[in-house]
Amino acid sequence: MKEYIETIHKAVDNIVASRGTPVTAVIPILQDIQHEFSHLPEEALRYTCEVTDITQARIEGVASFYSQFRRQVTGEHIISVCTGTACHVKGSLLVYEAIRREMKLNQNENTDAAGVFTIDKVACLGCCTLAPVVRIDQVTYGHVMPENAGEILADFLKRGKQLVKVGLAAAPTSAVKGEIRIGLGSCCIASGSQDVKTELEKTVAEAGILVDVKQVGCVGICNQVPILEIVKPGENTAFYARIKPEEVKQVVLSHFKPEGNYRRFKSRVVNMFENMMADEAPRSFRKYMFEQRDTPLSEFLGPQVNIATENRGIIRPCDISEYRKAGGFEALKKCLNSLSPQDVIDEIKASGLRGRGGAGFPTGRKWQLVHDQAAAEKYIICNGDEGDPGAFMDRMLLESYPYRIIEGMLISAYATGAHNGLFYIRAEYPLAVQRISEALQVCQNEGILGENIMGNGFSFDIKIFEGAGAFVCGEETALIASIEGNRGIPRLRPPYPAVQGIYGKPTLINNTETFSLVSWIIRKGSGAFACIGSGRSKGTKVFALAGKVKRGGLIEVPMGISIRKIVEEIGGGIANDKQFKAVQIGGPSGGCIPASMADLTIDFEALSEAGAMMGSGGLIVLDENDCMVDIAHYFLSFTQNQSCGQCTFCRIGTRRMLELLEKIRNGDGVTEDLEKLEHLANSTHAGSLCGLGKTAPNPVLSTLRYFRDEYEAHIKGHCPAGKCAPIISYSITEECIGCTKCAQRCPSDAIAFKPYEIHSIDQEKCIKCDICRQVCPVNAVIIS
Amino acid sequence: MQITIDHKSFEVKEGMTLMQAAASLGISIPALCFREGIAHHPSCMVCLVKDLDSGRLLPSCAYPVLDGMNIQTHSHEIHEARREALELLLSDHVGDCEAPCRRSCPAFMDIPEMNRLIAAGRFKEALKVVREEIALPLTLGYICPAPCEKACHRASIDGSVSICLLKRSTADEGSRLYSGLAPAVEKSGKKVAIIGTGPAGLSAAFYVLRCGHHAVLFDQHKEAGGLLRYHITEDELPRQVLDSEIEVVRLMGAEFRLSTLVTKELFDTVLLREFDAVIIASGREEKQISDDFGLEPDEYGLKISRTTLEAKTRDESDDRDGRDDHSLTHQQRGIFACGNIIRKHQMAVRSVAQGKAAALSADHFLKTGKPGGVHQLFNSSFGRLKEAEFDEYLKESPSLSRLEPEKGFIGGFTEAEAMKEAARCMNCDCRKPVSCKLRIYANEYQAYQKKFTGPERKKIIKSVQHEFVIYEPEKCIKCGICVEITRAEGELQGLTYVGRGFDVRISVPLGGSLKEALIRTGEKVVEACPTGALAYKINHNEKRRDS
Repeated sequence: MKEYIETIHKAVDNIVASRGTPVTAVIPILQDIQHEFSHLPEEALRYTCEVTDITQARIEGVASFYSQFRRQVTGEHIISVCTGTACHVKGSLLVYEAIRREMKLNQNENTDAAGVFTIDKVACLGCCTLAPVVRIDQVTYGHVMPENAGEILADFLKRGKQLVKVGLAAAPTSAVKGEIRIGLGSCCIASGSQDVKTELEKTVAEAGILVDVKQVGCVGICNQVPILEIVKPGENTAFYARIKPEEVKQVVLSHFKPEGNYRRFKSRVVNMFENMMADEAPRSFRKYMFEQRDTPLSEFLGPQVNIATENRGIIRPCDISEYRKAGGFEALKKCLNSLSPQDVIDEIKASGLRGRGGAGFPTGRKWQLVHDQAAAEKYIICNGDEGDPGAFMDRMLLESYPYRIIEGMLISAYATGAHNGLFYIRAEYPLAVQRISEALQVCQNEGILGENIMGNGFSFDIKIFEGAGAFVCGEETALIASIEGNRGIPRLRPPYPAVQGIYGKPTLINNTETFSLVSWIIRKGSGAFACIGSGRSKGTKVFALAGKVKRGGLIEVPMGISIRKIVEEIGGGIANDKQFKAVQIGGPSGGCIPASMADLTIDFEALSEAGAMMGSGGLIVLDENDCMVDIAHYFLSFTQNQSCGQCTFCRIGTRRMLELLEKIRNGDGVTEDLEKLEHLANSTHAGSLCGLGKTAPNPVLSTLRYFRDEYEAHIKGHCPAGKCAPIISYSITEECIGCTKCAQRCPSDAIAFKPYEIHSIDQEKCIKCDICRQVCPVNAVIIS
Repeated sequence: MQITIDHKSFEVKEGMTLMQAAASLGISIPALCFREGIAHHPSCMVCLVKDLDSGRLLPSCAYPVLDGMNIQTHSHEIHEARREALELLLSDHVGDCEAPCRRSCPAFMDIPEMNRLIAAGRFKEALKVVREEIALPLTLGYICPAPCEKACHRASIDGSVSICLLKRSTADEGSRLYSGLAPAVEKSGKKVAIIGTGPAGLSAAFYVLRCGHHAVLFDQHKEAGGLLRYHITEDELPRQVLDSEIEVVRLMGAEFRLSTLVTKELFDTVLLREFDAVIIASGREEKQISDDFGLEPDEYGLKISRTTLEAKTRDESDDRDGRDDHSLTHQQRGIFACGNIIRKHQMAVRSVAQGKAAALSADHFLKTGKPGGVHQLFNSSFGRLKEAEFDEYLKESPSLSRLEPEKGFIGGFTEAEAMKEAARCMNCDCRKPVSCKLRIYANEYQAYQKKFTGPERKKIIKSVQHEFVIYEPEKCIKCGICVEITRAEGELQGLTYVGRGFDVRISVPLGGSLKEALIRTGEKVVEACPTGALAYKINHNEKRRDS
């Protein structure tokens, strides 16, 4: 025991030596302690208070506020079941329950008896196109079905310590005959791109091919990954979609002749992971040529306009020379050399750019406000605390275009007269943090950050602050509170951060996507930007398209595009021949727009009027099997859980609304509950202090507005979509062939093992885990 | 800068809050989480006002004045929003303003306070507390069916506190019954006729006299007492007990006109002419007089105004027999009624309660020309105690089961026995029944606690490690005033918010105890806490309960 305490003290001493003793260091210190001990031992907290300026009240307040921090000892490995929107609509809750059963957990436990695994739900891992997603430590599994629960645990343990570390490929040195590009965003890696890349490098090395194996950022075509792009002089560019490691060799050799000793490579055991990429599409890769029309790729990419995602899938994320070659830092140079700060602001104003974080405040006006403050010390913050379940735009941009965002921040700093910058990035995005810190380091070395930038006398520095898991910190005043070492509690505005922000100094906070549009606007001119889009919404918007659509992915579309075009053309329509029902736009602050309004255009005002919101850009497509009461319940339980707990309407109001929704979902609702719910939603909107509380009722209000009949059906004890467990039941039809698959897989023995007889489900025993329906080869299991 | 509040434009200083600006116009705005001089985050949202330009509701306690603002502080919408904020807070406020025993007592007697005084051996003061509501403590100490004991939270643990006998014990001892009778007010010179000398009539006389008026009681029987004498047996109620309590009323100055049947003629020529007010407490047997006197009856007897004069708090059940929130006035001016003549049920304690209510209504009439009911304050209540909460409730009282008097029920408690039994009271009432801002505003805004009731209430915890502070987190509204005080005063541990969202609570950091958290700020946090969450423990330097 004494030894343990000494270990703790020593570790804390080291952490404090590197993080310092001020109260603002509290979150980084806690993160380091947790990194060291995988939880926060109480002794470490106590001792931290002894050796720093941090009080016990502060450390307890902060440690208990952010969901990243754990107070209990955990198992050796952490299983994070993503409960983001896309995962939710694809049944993540059933997956969660299935893994818990596999771990043999009792109701209040989340660590198994042997201490191997601890299971947690997480808000969103940002891999929406792979839904449902489960992450075990650093390994991500996509398209997990409840029936696979045992297999992924076994697979993880089998992988053991041979975990891949995501690194950067070295730039090629000698003359090469072409490029093989492979996307390595988080999603791509989760889809097995890392294994493909390993195989690719091995093949190229073994065959002695002189080709640049180039790791690029997110390619956005998440539905087709792993994807290889082969660019060879004299040949048309070819794409290989959904490629598997064992297919790599064949593909490479069809384009490049081996130059060295050619050896047959060993057959490789296909790991579990690829087997789980269970889409309706065939598993073998598909080849598309770049100029080919009417392929899923051209349909997906055709209507898109790439500004924030310029050079998508072409450049290495952290390679500054490639960024420069593609016009990088020209905008910055132009600003420093030939534009005054006011010129820059005027240009941004003229472009009509509005904040991409959700509310759409005019960016130029915000910059002007900060510019006009007399303070000597000003701050620029890039808000990368993307917390919406079902949104991963910021993650993709941070991972794939770090220099573009840095350039945008530099330009804003020059325009507003700020010298300190900060990236605020969610802790759930380790790859984004890694890439941004590498890029910052490179910029320092190249004289793009620091003193006297580009020899122009302008100085600017950027640091990274890792968020600790609180959706509310996406709200700018809460974000500031958390940087200052406080609980992430929003405060009243005014004063706005532009006037009094971090440490009371004028602070410009823009969303990641906003910053990534800036350099393009300066380079191409405000007019070029302003002519894209419609009405008061100019330029493009990046969306994370996911849900029941055939082709999900990260898309950048011009403002003014219709929802129909996004769903039907880019997304390829609804998967599995189901009926298009609605799109959920804007995540927990947004709303559901019914299919009948699919001609609505993407534009800040139009979406608000329809009861949704641009939000940060999650776009989840829903089909006939999605229950709108369940969707409303899902979003409200998210916001309710993420409420900071400060003001009455949000703290208690959202809870009471959720209880009403639960009552309705359980079939216990009465007609008056709908009025009560609507009324409470309106007062929570009116009376809450910050944006989180004010917009939390939107999913409820919009579904009540467009799908009231579904609420009424629940009150009558019927869930039309067959989703709400308390009021549905499973049964087996005459179609049953008596194969016993369901009986074998049923975790609660509700189906008797009777080969060649029509099976039946014991309703008393049935836990509605959906496994029987999924494994039935003849679709004889139905929900009523 | 110039702003407009409620149509008045005036000059304000920059940096002021909307609440301060409104205050300079004499407009007061309710607030729970705000306390002058303490840095705060607006949280309760009871101080909402409306910005007429944007249509938004703003928390006035923290929102700064901005040039040209046009603010509204009173409207139906604002009233509703504030009320809803209160109702949401109340839906998560697990506590009783008044103890369940008191709430279930038809006379609304302050039972926990009586118990605390008895436990301290202060019987005379305990009797005073009883007499605030009950004119016949001794009599009721024999015959009351004691609904209070059924409601007692301790009933489900190890037997309710023996409230009825304890009440008797306050008046039991020799001359104590006759102590403290002199009315504190000056004689008004007004005369009130009371028809009937049963529990309602005697009680009415007692409070009419206390209010400084002259009381004349009429009864057709030879002796006073009504049903107490002619219906209840001597075994149940020894006659000398009844006689001594009638004697109390007489000593206070009541005039008894016995063997006098009030006929229509007497009523018209004497009562209505010579008296300033008449209280009819003639009981059910003589109900026909209502017809004889030409007074309108209803299905319950004599028709009286049962409508609430002041707003009745909505969480009280709509009780037709309502105890004291009715003016008990007949439509004919100056005539009041109480007791069995206006209702079907017969319970002496209810008659006693109505006697007082009729007396106070008459008093109000005599002073203002209008009858007045007693306003029932808002009461928070959470229902039954859960088994898991028994230990929490027993933290402040000894673990003894209900004491039965050695001399039997008729014999009653000795003083020593009474003190021992009274100490079993778990003090379920709030320690800040008067100063609690949540109650004050719930009352003012007619909040209904059950509007947003959740499916399950939180478990009650009582934190008692501190020398003189008790902390009941489920009464907390999370305003953070105490957190800020302990921080500003440099407490080593202090208090902090723990967790977030609906489950956020205020607690001592790192599992510490309240004792170490409040080394020098105990008094400050109790004084500043807007609810009864942080309060003084029982009998701490007499600061036990505010009044």
